[in-house]
Amino acid sequence: MEPWVVATSLIFIYLLATIVLGVIANQRMTVDMEDFLLYGRQAGFIVLYLTVVATFHSAFAFLGSGGFFYTHGIGFWAAGTWTLLVGAITYVLGPRIWALGKANGYITPADMLADFYESEAVRVAVAIVSVVFTILYIQVQAQGLGYIINVASGDRISFEIGTLILLIVAAAYLMAGGLRAVYWTDVIQGVWMYVAVWVGAMYLAYDLFGGPLQLWAEVRAQRPDLLSLPGPEGFFTPGMWIGMTITLSFGIIFQPHMMIRYYTAVDAKTLKLLGATTPIYLMTLYVPAALVGLGGAVAMPGLDVPDRIFPELLFAHAPPILTGVILAGATAAAMSTLDSILHANMSVLTRDVYQRYVAPDREQSHYVWVGRGIVAALLVVGYFLSVRTFDFLVVLVTLSGSGALQLMPAIVGVCFPTRRTLTRTGVLAGLLVGLGTLYVTLVVTPHPLGLHGGVWALLFNVATAVGVSAVTDPPTEATRDRIHGEVERQIYPETSS
Amino acid sequence: MSQQRRSHFVPRTPEGRVAVVAFLLLFFLSMPPVTHRLLDRPETWVGGVPFLFAALFVVYTALIAVLVWAWRKGI
Repeated sequence: MEPWVVATSLIFIYLLATIVLGVIANQRMTVDMEDFLLYGRQAGFIVLYLTVVATFHSAFAFLGSGGFFYTHGIGFWAAGTWTLLVGAITYVLGPRIWALGKANGYITPADMLADFYESEAVRVAVAIVSVVFTILYIQVQAQGLGYIINVASGDRISFEIGTLILLIVAAAYLMAGGLRAVYWTDVIQGVWMYVAVWVGAMYLAYDLFGGPLQLWAEVRAQRPDLLSLPGPEGFFTPGMWIGMTITLSFGIIFQPHMMIRYYTAVDAKTLKLLGATTPIYLMTLYVPAALVGLGGAVAMPGLDVPDRIFPELLFAHAPPILTGVILAGATAAAMSTLDSILHANMSVLTRDVYQRYVAPDREQSHYVWVGRGIVAALLVVGYFLSVRTFDFLVVLVTLSGSGALQLMPAIVGVCFPTRRTLTRTGVLAGLLVGLGTLYVTLVVTPHPLGLHGGVWALLFNVATAVGVSAVTDPPTEATRDRIHGEVERQIYPETSS
Repeated sequence: MSQQRRSHFVPRTPEGRVAVVAFLLLFFLSMPPVTHRLLDRPETWVGGVPFLFAALFVVYTALIAVLVWAWRKGI
């Protein structure tokens, strides 16, 4: 049997499995917004762990990271820093967001921020930022999916058709089973992608070089420029290293599809364990990516699209079944992020826009059906965004992260009680200045003075938020007592009773 | 009420302070200028892998150990 038949068949078997899980999840679902959007706030450690890591690692982990090592060398091992920060942020921030969500019935990030800052303008601004910047992420994942199936089929299934098929499958199981379907499929996807990337990388290392250590030695002999900072093209300057660490940790955590996961945990202790252990998975996934990217630079130099290195090596050197299993893992990596983003956007648009401003007092089942309709609309938008251009994946991921990063002052203001707090005017002004600065420092003059544009934007954002808050009215005492008091009780129960 | 307005940016227990200081110190080891001035030694190899790769792997592992220690201590 030809390799492309095996590879494509395995991907379709995998897709079938996700649809079956969606149907089963649908049978377990109750017609209730908390169940449909938040898994009934009952996610235990294993399910939450695998959905968080699978959602964090996307098509980029399979394609973009290998491409980055291939082009810019060992500097991409900086990836470990942002995976560690993701764990630490989850450890510190997760229990606070979980406690506030449970106590006040929050479903979206905008629920929390609008409640504390007592402002519908804050709700709308946060909802807009949440949707606009994560739609870019839909594009990234959908493009990755289309590309994977295009490569797996040996160009027999076009990029456009591949993208459409995989978007429809992800939307279908999301509409059927809500967040429960997303979480269950993420469990499979999380395991599959981890095993696939390790097995694929090790197979290639042994087949091409005789083992990982021989691979490193060969890179040293043939491409020593890949083994020092800032890399062959001078990309990994200190400013970029720091900037990527911040934008790809805080910036991704503050995207709605990650923050909503904190609401879904069964308890705060689960979230702390999650924070302590997720970096094990997240960080170690970049070890095989380094082997693929650096080894690929020696074994297959001169690729026009460096992101293609992993699948190109597999097709050239691995048996068809192994290639199929691994590309199905790549599909899993992209779909696990895509379905979560579709779900988060559905939640934001249903909760923060439709329920709030269009039809406030309808039955729960009505909102569930509206949510399904929104997923269908997002599918169409995502598809048209995806088929326009194929660009280097990490640039778009970084842009997405930088946008959501601008929510940081507002979120920290809610979750970390202080004597002086930020105000609604302060966070709105900071957000506006931050987004304006982001446009200048990422689009007009990218990364001024070698510092990542997202960090410039955050600095201006924080300065504005603090400055304006000093001269405007804070939230009422009653609101601060209720919300900061809840955080105090959660984090320091022994002293707050 | 004054209890509720105590800052959450400063740890209140000795173990909390140890965890924060250990995490920050280790984290700075994975950041410039340490990475670009001290760890970037292309001529030095450890166990068959470049020094930068090996050193950062050790730092990352130590950071995970700090997080797990904090969790075990109930911080």
